[in-house]
Amino acid sequence: MNLRRHSFAVIAGLAVLLFLWIPLVAVAINSFNRNVIMTGWSGFTTHWYSQAFHNQPVRAGVVSTIIIGAISTAASLVLSVTAGLWWRQASGRARRVFDALVYARIILPEVVFATALFFFFNLIHLGLGIGAIIIGHTVWNSAYATLIIQARIVGLDPALEEAAADLGATPWRAFRRVTAVLLLPGVVTAGLLALTFSFDDVVTSFFMGGAATAPLPIVLFGLIRFEITPEINAVGVLFMLFTVAMMSLAVSSFRAGESVVRRGGADRLMGMYRR
Amino acid sequence: MNRWLSLLTRAGRLLSGLAGRRRGPLARHLLLLPTGVWTAIFFLGPLVLLGLYSFGRENLITLNVSLNWTLGNYQELGNPIYRSTLLRSLELSAETTIACAILGFPLAYLISRCRGRLQWLLLGAVIVPFWTSFLVRTYSWVNILRTFGPLDSLARGLGLTRSHINLLYTPTAVGIGIVYSYLPLMILPIYVALERVDDGLLEAAADLGAGGFRAFLRVVLPLGTPGLIAGMIIVGVPAAGEFVIPEILGGGKTLMIGNIVANQFLEVSNYPFGAALAMSLMVVLMIAVFSLRRIQSRLQI
Amino acid sequence: MNDNTAGVRLVEVEKRYQSVVAVRSLSLEVPRGTFFSIIGPSGCGKTTTLRIIGGFEAPDRGRVEVSGQDVTRLRPHRRPVNTVFQSYALFPHLSAFENVAFGLREARRPRAEIQERAQEMLDLVGLTGREGRRPRQLSGGQQQRVALGRALVNRPEVLLLDEPLGALDLQIRKEMQAQLKEIQREVGTTFVYVTHDQEEAFAMSDRVAVMNGGILEQVGEPAEVYRRPASSWVAGFVGGANQFPGLVSEVERPGRYVVELANGIRRTSPGVAGLKPGQQVTTVVRPEDLWLRPVAAGEEEPETAATVLDAAFLGSHRLLRLASQRLGMLSASVRGVGQEAHLGEAVALGWKDEDGWVVPAGTAEARPEGAAAQ
Repeated sequence: MNLRRHSFAVIAGLAVLLFLWIPLVAVAINSFNRNVIMTGWSGFTTHWYSQAFHNQPVRAGVVSTIIIGAISTAASLVLSVTAGLWWRQASGRARRVFDALVYARIILPEVVFATALFFFFNLIHLGLGIGAIIIGHTVWNSAYATLIIQARIVGLDPALEEAAADLGATPWRAFRRVTAVLLLPGVVTAGLLALTFSFDDVVTSFFMGGAATAPLPIVLFGLIRFEITPEINAVGVLFMLFTVAMMSLAVSSFRAGESVVRRGGADRLMGMYRR
Repeated sequence: MNRWLSLLTRAGRLLSGLAGRRRGPLARHLLLLPTGVWTAIFFLGPLVLLGLYSFGRENLITLNVSLNWTLGNYQELGNPIYRSTLLRSLELSAETTIACAILGFPLAYLISRCRGRLQWLLLGAVIVPFWTSFLVRTYSWVNILRTFGPLDSLARGLGLTRSHINLLYTPTAVGIGIVYSYLPLMILPIYVALERVDDGLLEAAADLGAGGFRAFLRVVLPLGTPGLIAGMIIVGVPAAGEFVIPEILGGGKTLMIGNIVANQFLEVSNYPFGAALAMSLMVVLMIAVFSLRRIQSRLQI
Repeated sequence: MNDNTAGVRLVEVEKRYQSVVAVRSLSLEVPRGTFFSIIGPSGCGKTTTLRIIGGFEAPDRGRVEVSGQDVTRLRPHRRPVNTVFQSYALFPHLSAFENVAFGLREARRPRAEIQERAQEMLDLVGLTGREGRRPRQLSGGQQQRVALGRALVNRPEVLLLDEPLGALDLQIRKEMQAQLKEIQREVGTTFVYVTHDQEEAFAMSDRVAVMNGGILEQVGEPAEVYRRPASSWVAGFVGGANQFPGLVSEVERPGRYVVELANGIRRTSPGVAGLKPGQQVTTVVRPEDLWLRPVAAGEEEPETAATVLDAAFLGSHRLLRLASQRLGMLSASVRGVGQEAHLGEAVALGWKDEDGWVVPAGTAEARPEGAAAQ
C-alpha cells in the first residue's frame, strides 16, 4: 500500500474518521464528568451511571424495549425464513416484485410508514401501545432479516437437498438435517440485526407507543428534548455498548456461516450496492 | 413437551412437503403466506388507506375523517409555509447527500487501497459508530454545538469569532447531524464499488500518461460512480424524511417535512392533510429512486 | 425376482421443458449388474435421463422401472437408487463419516451397524483415517470418494453417476476410472454412468448408450458401437472417422454391400442392415484402418493418392491429415517408427474391405438441444 501515492486520500480519510469518532468519545468522556453543565472537566465520577440505574422511566424503558425487541425479532424471523424458502423456488417475476417490496421498506422514510400505520390503527380503533410497536417493528425488521436470509439461501447448493432425498430423507428430514442447519448462522445474524434495529428505533415507537409505557429510545428522546442532564450520557454509553456488542455477535456469526458453506452469499448483499 | 414437539414436527412435515418442487403451484406459494399477509395488512394496506384519505376531509370538531374525494389537502400544500418546508427538506437532503459524498469518497477510496488486517480495521472504524444508538450519535452534537460548548470555545479560542456562535437549533445543525448519522451509509457502497478497481488499473493509467489527479478523474471516479449513486439513494431518500434529527438539533421547530407530518398527526390531528404531506413525500422520493436507479443501470460496467 | 430382471428399464419416457423436448420417447434397458454408460454431446438429454431414473425429474410420459418395480410415481427418497452428483453435493456441516452414514441414519439402522458399514465403506474407497474431516478439508479426489461411498453404502439396486470425474486432474481421473470399474465389479451393483467423455465411457463400461438431441442413437458394447456404428453421426462422435459418401449399387448379401464411392471407386463392405440399392450411404473408415505407402518416384499415380497436409505427433501415434483428389479430406493414424510421412509428400493409401462400414447418409452434426421431430 503506497502511502505516498495516495497522500491526499490518507489525510482526508483519517480526518473523516476522526470526525466520526470524536463526538462518541466526547459523550463517553462526559459520562464520567462531574461537571453538571458540562462546560469543562471537573473530575471523574460514576454518579451519573448510578443515577441512570435508579431512574424509573429508564428502567421501565429497558424492560419494554427488551420485550418489544424479542417478540418483533421472533416474528421477523418467522416471516423472513418462510419468505426466503419461498423465494428460492419462485419465478423471476415474482422475485422482482418481492424484492421491490423489501427494498421499499428499507429505503423509504420511516415517517411515512409510521404515520400510515398510526392512521390505520386509528381508523379501525385498534389500541396503540407495546403491541402496536411490535407490529410496526416487525414490518421493517422482517425486510432486513429477509435480506440476510436471502443472502444465505442463495449460497445454498440446491443439490444438497436433492442429495438428502436421494439418500432416503423425506422432505421434512432433509430440511431439518441439511437446510435448517446451514441456514442457522444466517438466522442468528438476522435475529441479532433485527434486535439491534428494534432497540434503536425511535420513529415507529414514537407514533405507535401512545401514552402508555415508553421503550428506552423514547425515554431517551424525551430526556434529550426537554432536559439535558448528564445522565443522558451515561444511558447513552450503556446503550452504545449494548448495540455494539449485539452487532459484533451478528457479524461473527455471519462470517462463521460463510466459512461452512462453499458458495458465499455475501456477494448478494453487496450486490444490492453494486446494482 | 413431547406433544408440542410432535405437533411441531407434524406441521413441519406438512409444510416442507408443500415446499417440495413437485407440488402444484398453489401449494408452493403457501410459504409466502406469513410475509404476504403481514405485508398486505400492515404495510400496503395502511399506505393505500393513507393515499385514499389524503383526498379526504376532516371535521375539526368531531375529528371525524371522511372520504370526500377532494384535492383540498394537496392544494393546501401550495401554501407557502408547507411548500417552503417541503423544498427545504429536499434541499437539505440534497446538500447533506453531497456533503456525505465529498467526505465519504476519500475515505472509501483509502480503505479500498488497503489490504488485509488494515482494511478490516478501517472498515470496522467506519461501521462501529454506525452501530451505536443513532439517538446518542445525534445527541452528541447537541453538546458540541451549543453555546459554551467545545466548538464554541474552540472557535473563540482560535479567534475565528468574537461573540458566541449559536449553531444549535439551526438548519445547519440539522444538516451536520444528518451528515454525521448517514456518512457510513455513503462510505460502504462506494468502498464496495472501488474495491474492484485494481491497483494495476492506476498503474496502467500512469503508464499512459495520467497520473495523480487525472487518473482519479478518469479512472477512479467513473468506476466508483455506481457505488456513489447507490450511496446517494441510501442516504438521500431517508434523509429527506428525517424526523428525529430535526427535532433534536433543530429545536422542535418544524424544519422538515417529517416534523410537519408528525405534527399533523400527533398534535393537530389533521389526518387528511398529514396524509397528503406523507404521500407527496413518498411520491417525490420514489421518483428520485427510480431515476437514480435507471442512471445506475445505464452505468453498469 | 429372477436374474433376468433388468437393472433399470425406461419405457417410452418423454420429458419436455416448456417448448424444448429434452428426452423423446426413450426406451432403454440396463442389464442388471452391468457398468452402463450414457454418452452424448451437451444438451443431448443424458443428464435429464439420469435425473428421471433418480426421481429428481418426473417424466411427462412413460414408465421407469428399477429391478422390475415401477418407480415412476415414487419420489427420490423412496427409490432403491442412489446418486453420485456432479458437484458431489457433500453436506458441508458434516464430517466425511457422517456424510457416508447419512443414508443409513435415514433408514434408521442400529448404531452398531451404521458404525460398521460406514467405516467399511470408507476403507473401501481409501479414506481410512480421514473420517473426521469436513468436505472443505479434503481434496477434490477425496471428496469424490466420499460422494461415492455415501451412495454405495446404502447398497442400492442401481447407482447413478452424473459426470463424477469432470472436475479432477487427468492423472487422478484415470486412477478413479480404474477404481470405479473395480468397485463395480466387486460390489456388483448396476452402475449407470453419464459422461461426455467418450473415451472414459468406453474404458469403463460393459455397455454404452449414445444419445443425441434427446434421442437414443445406439446401444451396445463399446467395441460394437465403435466398429459398427448405427449412423454416420455416431461414427463421428465415438472416434475419428473418415466418411466417404457413396451409393449402394448392389446388396451382396444381408449386411454386405457393394458401394460405389466418388469417382468410380467400388468397394464391398459390411454395413447396417436394411440398406437398399440406390440408397445414399456413407462408408466409414477409421483413421487407424487406413494404410499408407509412399509413392515411389516414377510410379504411375495410384488409384487412391493423397498428399500429406499436416502431421501431429500424439505420443503413441501420429495423426495425419491428407487431401485426396478422389476422396476429399482424410485423416489417418499411424503407429511405429517405420511409417514416417512428411509434409507435402504424396502417398498411396487404402483400406481393407472388412474395415469399411456402411451407414445411411446423414448429417454428422449433433442434433440441437431438444430436437424437433425428425
